[in-house]
Amino acid sequence: MTKAAEAWEGPTAAELKAAGAEAIPGGVRVKGWVIRSHNGPILNSASLQLFEDKLQTTHLPEMVFGESFLSLQHAQTGIRLYFNALDALKAWKHEALPPVEVPAAAKWKFRSKPSDQVILDYDYTFTTPYNGSDALVQNPDSIQTSLDEPRNLCWEDSEDRIDLVALSAKEPILFYDEVILYEDELADNGISFLTVRVRVMPTGWFLLLRFWLRVDGVLMRLRDTRVYCSFGSDEAKPIVLRECCWREATFASLSAKGYPSDSAAYGDPNLIAHKLPVVMQKIQKLKLPN
Amino acid sequence: MGTSDLDRQIEQLKRCEPLTEAEVKALCLKAMEILVEESNVQRVDAPVTICGDIHGQFYDMKELFKVGGDCPKTNYLFLGDFVDRGFYSVETFLLLLALKVRYPDRITLIRGNHESRQITQVYGFYDECLRKYGSVNVWRYCTDIFDYLSLSALIENKIFSVHGGLSPNITTLDQIRVIDRKQEVPHDGAMCDLLWSDPEDAVDGWGLSPRGAGFLFGGNVVSSFNHTNNIDYICRAHQLVMEGFKWMFNNKIVTVWSAPNYCYRCGNVAAILELDENLNKQFRVFEAAPHESRGVPAKRPAPDYFL
Repeated sequence: MTKAAEAWEGPTAAELKAAGAEAIPGGVRVKGWVIRSHNGPILNSASLQLFEDKLQTTHLPEMVFGESFLSLQHAQTGIRLYFNALDALKAWKHEALPPVEVPAAAKWKFRSKPSDQVILDYDYTFTTPYNGSDALVQNPDSIQTSLDEPRNLCWEDSEDRIDLVALSAKEPILFYDEVILYEDELADNGISFLTVRVRVMPTGWFLLLRFWLRVDGVLMRLRDTRVYCSFGSDEAKPIVLRECCWREATFASLSAKGYPSDSAAYGDPNLIAHKLPVVMQKIQKLKLPN
Repeated sequence: MGTSDLDRQIEQLKRCEPLTEAEVKALCLKAMEILVEESNVQRVDAPVTICGDIHGQFYDMKELFKVGGDCPKTNYLFLGDFVDRGFYSVETFLLLLALKVRYPDRITLIRGNHESRQITQVYGFYDECLRKYGSVNVWRYCTDIFDYLSLSALIENKIFSVHGGLSPNITTLDQIRVIDRKQEVPHDGAMCDLLWSDPEDAVDGWGLSPRGAGFLFGGNVVSSFNHTNNIDYICRAHQLVMEGFKWMFNNKIVTVWSAPNYCYRCGNVAAILELDENLNKQFRVFEAAPHESRGVPAKRPAPDYFL
């Protein structure tokens, strides 16, 4: 997680001014974008009940940060990209992967079973294909009513790549946040963790939505969604690229390559990512609405 | 080891200052002598205050003692999971252990699933011991003590307390009493279940977790166990609950959770359960320790040039 030693007081007034940016509560306004985030607590019982009703399941991650979000809105085009736990869990529910067995399962097959034993069957890893929510906001300043059905945006496959070299430059940071959407400890058998991080620079913004799974002794899975907007020369026509990259490996396959086999070696997904083979990769560009 | 040494160590630990390795070794040896005499179903007298998971959140445990009162004036029962995940597992466990040695009849510690060699190597305690002491000896001394912790507690013969829950291999308390507990937590069997199982609304009897290991138990199982053993309800820990405590199955079982703002990010409250001499219940809910009392100022995370 975050280094406790370092501290940051936010961008300086000079940095904001030089970039033509304005700090707003919980975010920043820059080059026609309003970018905001919020970190709330985990859901309480009443809110959890609402989520369970909406998702039609009582098995949700232990820690659902249901009020937390990241939102990026472009006033001129009406583009809104946002990230939240409910939509991510809808995608999890829809994908419905088969459950992964933990190492002890092999022994448990030989335990004498209670006569009325029920086997629960849902994806307790909470793996989600979610790559963000989007909407076309007709009137950014109006409060949306249920009658205004927002249109979704259109993403087209693209040959362009996110410019990681440009993103490596240590530009001034106008806004930065890390938002946890949900987390589950898999009953002390690993970790399932969905976060989105954003950084806003004078030349563009960049975000990483990351789903990180480790089932101790069994499997690691990483699903990354990177979205990048280079501000470029025309503020009215933003260029937004989205790259989805899914990686996965079993502990057995990593061990066969000579990597450690103990779960303690795999606490930080940043250090592990490149050891996991890519199983899916896709790059798309946001088609500007007419 | 005299009481004056112990008192000095307790005061030191209350300031979140760890003991020397030699002091830890001596403390653990003394604790072993006390714990070896305890039953797998340790008898506890009321009044008593029951505490759930702490998970190394030392300053939040100090808040707990502010709310519940200091030991030995308050009689305490802690339901395990003292270590891992938080930043101060060493100071947390050693303070509780020192209080146990100093006031053996005024604090009871039972074992959680994290009081385990295998679990602590993955979830933080091992790394913390290595970082704070430069060797794994303290981790070894502590994990040896883990094997001596009791598996459950019985309050005035009426309230059964355990870290996780029930087992299909256990119908009576006597079956718990005969378990050989002085071992690493096994991966299956009755001892495993007591520390790992969970109540589950979706089943009436027994369920198997989708992980393929780990029992889930329903309301009928709890009713049957409570009736057979003539107990009023079960008090357990093990699962995070946002409000600090949660009743299930018509108040036959309650989960108590005592780590507020769990993992320093959940924003949850925590609770302890106070039972008076007549077993009247009062949940005392509390929040995380304010930043000022943690010794480190609140900081905004530094931006990271992630890619």
